Amino acid sequence: MQLRHVSTNLRQGLRRNMSMHAAVILTLFVSLTLAGIGVMLNRQASLTTDVIGNELKVSVYLCVPDDPDHPQCTTEVTAAQEAAIVDTIENNPEVASWEEISKEEGLDNFIKLGLVTQAQTEGPDALLTADYVPKELRITLKNPNQYQGVASAVQDLDGVRNIVLAKDLVGNVFTIINVIKYSAWGAAAVLLLAAVMLVANTIRLTALARRKEIEIMRLVGASRIFIVLPFLLEAVFNAFVGVLLAAGALAALTKFGIIDTLDASYDALPFIGWSDYLYTLVVIGVAGPLLTVIPTLLLTRKYLRF
Amino acid sequence: MIRFEKATVSYPGPGKPALNQVSIDVEKGEFVFLVGTSGSGKSTALRLVLRELRPTSGRVYVAGKEINRLATWKVPRLRRQIGTVFQDFRLLPGKTVAENVAFALQVTGHSSREIKATVPQTLELVGLSDKAGRLPDELSGGEQQRVAIARAMVNEPMILIADEPTGNLDPTTSVDIMKLLDRINATGTTVLMATHDNGIVDQMRKRVVELDHGVVVRDEATGVYGFQH
Repeated sequence: MQLRHVSTNLRQGLRRNMSMHAAVILTLFVSLTLAGIGVMLNRQASLTTDVIGNELKVSVYLCVPDDPDHPQCTTEVTAAQEAAIVDTIENNPEVASWEEISKEEGLDNFIKLGLVTQAQTEGPDALLTADYVPKELRITLKNPNQYQGVASAVQDLDGVRNIVLAKDLVGNVFTIINVIKYSAWGAAAVLLLAAVMLVANTIRLTALARRKEIEIMRLVGASRIFIVLPFLLEAVFNAFVGVLLAAGALAALTKFGIIDTLDASYDALPFIGWSDYLYTLVVIGVAGPLLTVIPTLLLTRKYLRF
Repeated sequence: MIRFEKATVSYPGPGKPALNQVSIDVEKGEFVFLVGTSGSGKSTALRLVLRELRPTSGRVYVAGKEINRLATWKVPRLRRQIGTVFQDFRLLPGKTVAENVAFALQVTGHSSREIKATVPQTLELVGLSDKAGRLPDELSGGEQQRVAIARAMVNEPMILIADEPTGNLDPTTSVDIMKLLDRINATGTTVLMATHDNGIVDQMRKRVVELDHGVVVRDEATGVYGFQH
């Protein structure tokens, strides 16, 4: 096959329909970027589940005196009550391990979270002292989704103030991730449909512009692949540039948005990195060419009438 | 070389078939005029030979292949054995004479070396060696038709199909084109030419097959355009 003939055809084809090719490339760029964001968010959700979800905690807070929000607590939890609670936790088959967070450690956590200042916990007029901070028994479950058994076994025991599921705290993170992910995928699907329609239009226009040439090619016995090849190469070229632009945008998002901003600012959550970016690159690198080559193969058959 | 066996072509919709039970046998190296009024079925017959159409019933053989049974992927190979010339020349306006001729070789996968060797020879055959670098716009009608013939012949086909090749040319130029086709025929190429040009047909005294409403009404070994009374 004549490489020079093929490359000349490709150059001419791209020049002839420059604005249409630009439209295809830009639409592919935006749609593949959105699809890539969806893929990355999916990876983020998996990562969050892996790190936080697998260590899903159940915090059992024990009674403190003078606690109007929890009327079942009239006095500080007794040693016997605490022993009974610990015994229940240790004998529960859903529990992998547990640890005690002392009143002092709890107070430190309040300070770290900014609920009180160090000064407010000191001196005779202290707003909050360790005495009034509930002791916490932090349980790690074997299966993060099976928390009901231990929660129901513990919550009615004497000396239990309240139970907090970490799932309730991180649940919002997953909700936000899912909303953005599905929005991105929805927008990507619409734009990808637009890209496919633009590819169809470009093929129709090119077939029209080259009808004389194509007719001669058919008459002199050019094979189908030879006639379709310029269309296929144009499709691959458009996909290549679209993927390249999307890869650049996603790299910028990974570097400046995730690594430099989110990962640097929030220690509480794990964030995806370059390996997830490479995975996303493979996904859009395969999807981009397929989205242009498959319609090209189908539509050239329609418009070129072999 | 070309054989129609009771070939019938019906287009969708009501009306008579474009070709009706047509049987023609064209031997290797023959020169055959296909004559008849517009709508008589000449172009349909040529399209059958090119396998642009398949017969609704009956059989058509071209270069030993039954076109009804020919797989789509084998059609290009069949067409490489057939050269085609049209009334409107169908040259590519942006390409020079040599490039137009080379195009037929390029798109059928010939190497640059083959193209460089073959194109000048073919241009010499049609008498256009000195105009290889010209664009089609810069040529007369007769010269443009010569380029089209060169393009049709550059693959050295066994059959040359000509659909009204003199239809756009003046009588003198038409005679020149016919002489060229006759020369090509003399080298062993089978020529099947559809035409309205009675002067040419009468002068050449070749085999004439006349179609009327899709039916062969006359097949004479050395005929003229109209019936001889």
